Amino acid sequence: MEKIATICVYCGCGCGLVLHVEDGRVVGASPSPAHPVSRGRLCVKGWLAADFVHHPDRLKTPLVRRGERMARVSWDEALSLSARRLREIREESGPDSLAILTSAKGTNEENYLLAKLARAALGTNNVDHVARLCHAPSVAGLGIALGSGAMTNPIRSLLSSDAILVTGSNTTEQHPLVAATILEAQARGATLIVADPRRTQMAELADIHLAPRLGTDVAWTNGMLNLIIGRGLIDEDFINERTEGFSALKELALRYTPAAVERITGIPPGDLEKAAAAFGEAPRAGVVYAMGTTQHSSGTDNVLALANLVLATGNVGRDGTGIYPLRGHQNVQGACDMGALPIFYSGYQKVEDPAARRKMEAAWGTDLPATPGLTAVEMMEAAEEGRIRGMIISGENPMISYPDRGQVIRALRSLDFLAVADIFPTETTALADVVLPVASFAEKDGTFTSTERRIQRVRRAVTPPGEARPEVEVAAELLRRFSVTADYASPEEVMGEISSVTPSYGGVSSRRLGISGLSWPCPSPDHPGTEILHQGSFPIGRARFYVVEQQHLPEDLDYPLFLTTGRSLFHFHTGTMTRRTHLLDRERPKATVDINPADAAALGVRSGTMVVVESATGSLEIEARLTAEVPMGTVYIPFHFAEAPANQLTTRTLDPTSKIPGLKRTPVRIRRADG
Amino acid sequence: MKIDRSKMGTDTLDGFGGDRIVRAAPAKPESYIPFQAEVVDIDVESSNTYLLSLRPMNEEDEHVAINYFPGQFLMVSVFGLGECPISIASSPTRDPLQICVREAGKITQGIMAARIGDVLGIRGPFGNGFPVGSMRGENVLIAGGGSGFATLRSLINYIADDREKFKEVTVVYGARTPQDLYFTTEYGSWQAAEIEVGITVDMIDATWKGNVGLVTSLLADLDPAPGASALCGPPMMIRVVAKDLLGRGFLEEDIHISLERHMKCGVGKCEHCTMGRYHVCTDGPIFSYDVVGDLI
Amino acid sequence: MTSTTALFISREDLIHLLEELSGTLEVVAPVLVGDEAAFATWRGEALALDDKNPLASPVEFFLPKKEVLFRYVQYSGRYTFSEDPPKARLIFGMRPCDLLALKVIDGIFGADLSDLPYAGRRRSTIIVALNCTSPGEGCFCRSMGSGPVAEGGYDLLLTDLGRGYLVEAGSPAGVYILRAHHRHFEEADIEDIKEKERLLALAGEKMIKRGPFPNPEKIREAIDGADWEEAGRRCLACGGCSFVCPVCHCFSVLDQGVPDGERLRCRDSCILSGFSRMTSGANPRPDPGERLRHWYLDKFVYIPEKTGLFGCVGCGRCSRVCLGEADRWSFFREATE
Repeated sequence: MEKIATICVYCGCGCGLVLHVEDGRVVGASPSPAHPVSRGRLCVKGWLAADFVHHPDRLKTPLVRRGERMARVSWDEALSLSARRLREIREESGPDSLAILTSAKGTNEENYLLAKLARAALGTNNVDHVARLCHAPSVAGLGIALGSGAMTNPIRSLLSSDAILVTGSNTTEQHPLVAATILEAQARGATLIVADPRRTQMAELADIHLAPRLGTDVAWTNGMLNLIIGRGLIDEDFINERTEGFSALKELALRYTPAAVERITGIPPGDLEKAAAAFGEAPRAGVVYAMGTTQHSSGTDNVLALANLVLATGNVGRDGTGIYPLRGHQNVQGACDMGALPIFYSGYQKVEDPAARRKMEAAWGTDLPATPGLTAVEMMEAAEEGRIRGMIISGENPMISYPDRGQVIRALRSLDFLAVADIFPTETTALADVVLPVASFAEKDGTFTSTERRIQRVRRAVTPPGEARPEVEVAAELLRRFSVTADYASPEEVMGEISSVTPSYGGVSSRRLGISGLSWPCPSPDHPGTEILHQGSFPIGRARFYVVEQQHLPEDLDYPLFLTTGRSLFHFHTGTMTRRTHLLDRERPKATVDINPADAAALGVRSGTMVVVESATGSLEIEARLTAEVPMGTVYIPFHFAEAPANQLTTRTLDPTSKIPGLKRTPVRIRRADG
Repeated sequence: MKIDRSKMGTDTLDGFGGDRIVRAAPAKPESYIPFQAEVVDIDVESSNTYLLSLRPMNEEDEHVAINYFPGQFLMVSVFGLGECPISIASSPTRDPLQICVREAGKITQGIMAARIGDVLGIRGPFGNGFPVGSMRGENVLIAGGGSGFATLRSLINYIADDREKFKEVTVVYGARTPQDLYFTTEYGSWQAAEIEVGITVDMIDATWKGNVGLVTSLLADLDPAPGASALCGPPMMIRVVAKDLLGRGFLEEDIHISLERHMKCGVGKCEHCTMGRYHVCTDGPIFSYDVVGDLI
Repeated sequence: MTSTTALFISREDLIHLLEELSGTLEVVAPVLVGDEAAFATWRGEALALDDKNPLASPVEFFLPKKEVLFRYVQYSGRYTFSEDPPKARLIFGMRPCDLLALKVIDGIFGADLSDLPYAGRRRSTIIVALNCTSPGEGCFCRSMGSGPVAEGGYDLLLTDLGRGYLVEAGSPAGVYILRAHHRHFEEADIEDIKEKERLLALAGEKMIKRGPFPNPEKIREAIDGADWEEAGRRCLACGGCSFVCPVCHCFSVLDQGVPDGERLRCRDSCILSGFSRMTSGANPRPDPGERLRHWYLDKFVYIPEKTGLFGCVGCGRCSRVCLGEADRWSFFREATE
């Protein structure tokens, strides 16, 4: 039996795990005791992380569409066909008629090469990935407020906090190792404040639970600021020395009195006061947030409001303080870092910046497009309208994870050519012209960058099934078919190129990455990495306060309830892996819609009743589950299940700044399926 | 191959009886590899329940089809879908071996999709079975509800085939609707064997002329004399019937309840079926009320 | 049969011995994986014996986290089956707590209807145990009677004396190894044996000093008195305690592949709600608190009734992995206060 230390494939925690390999098969996983995040512990998905690897459903040979049928072909045929079709479309309709969606499940090396493929080979900046649907508002909001869109501190830093505000994060289910750290801090005396409309386990365990109405985050955050300013709990030295724009913010906050906040959010003034006092009085406080904050049409405003709170109290740049946007995928941070975004090269170098572009053109030996590309959801719209005609989707399943499923189907069906690389057949590979079988996390080498900016080594434990190949090889083959030099002997060599063109990864090499990895920025080979950002200064000099107002939330009498979506502890994203993991699928075998018992009584619905949930964009039939975890007026559906895809209901109402769709608040109505 | 019953008969079986904890040992205790049995007949018992008749494929496995007790169960496999426990619905006194399968999950759906001539995997028989030995010479009351009646049918036919060894025998059975009643063609043969049979349903349709209501209402009508009893059905029904029987003078240790649990191995290792200190697969599935009364 | 005489082996000779043995057996030993000791096939790398007992117990070489029970191949509606024979293995450096865990599992998997795959691996595996001279911080083997000294159940037993190891045989297989590889061993003198006793007494005292220690009676009382609802509220349902426990042996069985495929057995966890849920949806243990209570009752009441041994060997691993601050060690410690 071999044991191989690697990194978990699921959430952004980036836990270290050890794969147990017997006779070329992964038979189990256990936590890595020396790893700085997992410290010998894992969540249930981590313990079972290896279970799907040898599932018989794995894609094993390249497939090409022949009418209704998918035919097995050689790699050469699949890749040459893909390259030929993409080139034809480019000649007919220009490079911006092509687009690539990369994968937050892929390695940094894979994401870098796919972004390079889009820019250097296809000639378009139309490259994006699932971060658009999770932390685009963080990249945008924290980017302008602090100068960096990433988590400021390592997870471990929370152990030194005196108060922790968790908002829009079902932490125990989505980032269990972060939750464990927070609960450990609470056991050591930190006050835990949880703001969530649902009574999640985290809310249940909190010292103070604020339950705002959906979509009212700016109001209560400004309200906390109002109280913190009123009680003189702001950090004036910090504000004077390191920030700008506070006076305008102060004026804004004055209007968000507890009474006004209660009218908007439903939070009793007493609770808000307790929360403000606990946060404001804490010598070291941190703010942890996730999709519940960002997946709104006011996502960027929500993030800016939280940044205001952190800056006004001087909670940046020290151990135990900071702002912690929890990233959902194990490498969504890395995919962003690698420039799998329509406006950035790797390391957030702007494609519009001529100097950056010249540098990349020199490195890649080709001309590069100057105009920013389309974002993920915009790509789907462009595809439906025929402006995008050819796409490569790598390891994403937009058919389940993107908003407004009906539109996604129309968009993907409108394409003249679609190539999809994945480890399992998905609802998206079903629409592909070419399907490329690729290696899972246990079958490839490379690096992942976790939510805390920790760059860590992923190690190959077993060989891929059948003819499946790591995507680094696939991307390199495609690059060569577009006459772009891509002679990489190994993923290490790709990392060599990444570090040569990416200042924040400048000192990173596979050789340097031990069990603890390295946190970026790590500009040079002798740099120890940066665990805590903004210690002496901000990348933009002074941090900025932004005046953000609570959006008006229109009511729709036809759709009196609000749907919020999320994920279960036992499943990951579209369930491609977890639904093929025996114990996880058994734990949560089917989708349900959570309804408050009072709402359910009014609808004549009991637990187990089949109901129809309808929104302006679609409807679905699903089993009801009665629980007081959701407040009256709100219903909740996890989006993992293809049988009842929650995104059939969601809309494409985008946040104007970050283009994230407002997945967390969709007006819906519910009726019994039989009535 | 024709099964030679001359060598077994009820007396031979009763040789195992008498002792309450005795069990017919599984045919191949040491292996998780099932043996193969061919589906030789399929009867539709209700819209979601089939009665499958099985015959072992290999001669050396034939004894499985006869060497079991009423109340025991088999682990039944559909290769590719998995294995689950199914109680034996036939009596060892009669050919063929039968299992009664109700659609519940993936595996039961797979079993029900089998056609005549298809092969299923079988391990067992497992569990203790009803203490038929100690029931001899006693009045016997058999009470079933819903799909729980399948395992009781094994006991009823076993008693019917050896009727003179038992005193008064009463069967009460309730289902949700008349269409959900199992084994309706056999009630006459039981009555012919001087077994009192009471049937009731919860919800009636135009054709139903029989009883409506709970099994306990049948007990009130039939007024069975105290003795041994065998119960299988939904937990609520078990609790109500057991209380009723205790009120009629039945002893706690004479109320034998067949329990259902999630199971993976059938041999007391996988721990899925644990109920406190008991393994339902090896210590049960038949428990007397004095043992599990406070656990059900 | 136990060898009455103890032998001595130097650190260098130990490596030579393992090299020779690995010619005929798969030698499994603690080596460094991701900066920590883990049991894996030994290929001549440095032994990680000074580290604390690896988090993944070597019991996995007897009860794998996942194994193929058998393969099925369908041909015109009929099936043929095949199984893999157990591997010939030697496990080096197994600690007394894990050794006792095996004995407990023997009492369950060896009893009544014996579990063939387990029994096969049990027979084909040689165990070289290592007495625990430096017990880990969360360990309480002493109060569970499982350490720090191994009592039986091994083929060979080693005690680290610093300059080398004292070696004792505990089975005919152990004696055979000593004879067949005699040139690596020398006679131990009386001082070596005294040194062994001194070191192990010291290890025991170390654990006493760390006390107070939970004892089984107190733990049973604590189980009765605990607020299981609160424990359930804090449980993050990772299943870690049951995945890491060397005595836990729950498994699930599933088929993969149609028409040909494998019947797999994989580790399961009674901490998960799906564990006891029936297809009807009814669940005998629906609450996390009830499931935690069952876990303790099994270890401290039910398994002792069945095997005469506790279902807990005091290795402390469940406390190391607990995510929910429902930490087992603090439960045990509270049980003594």
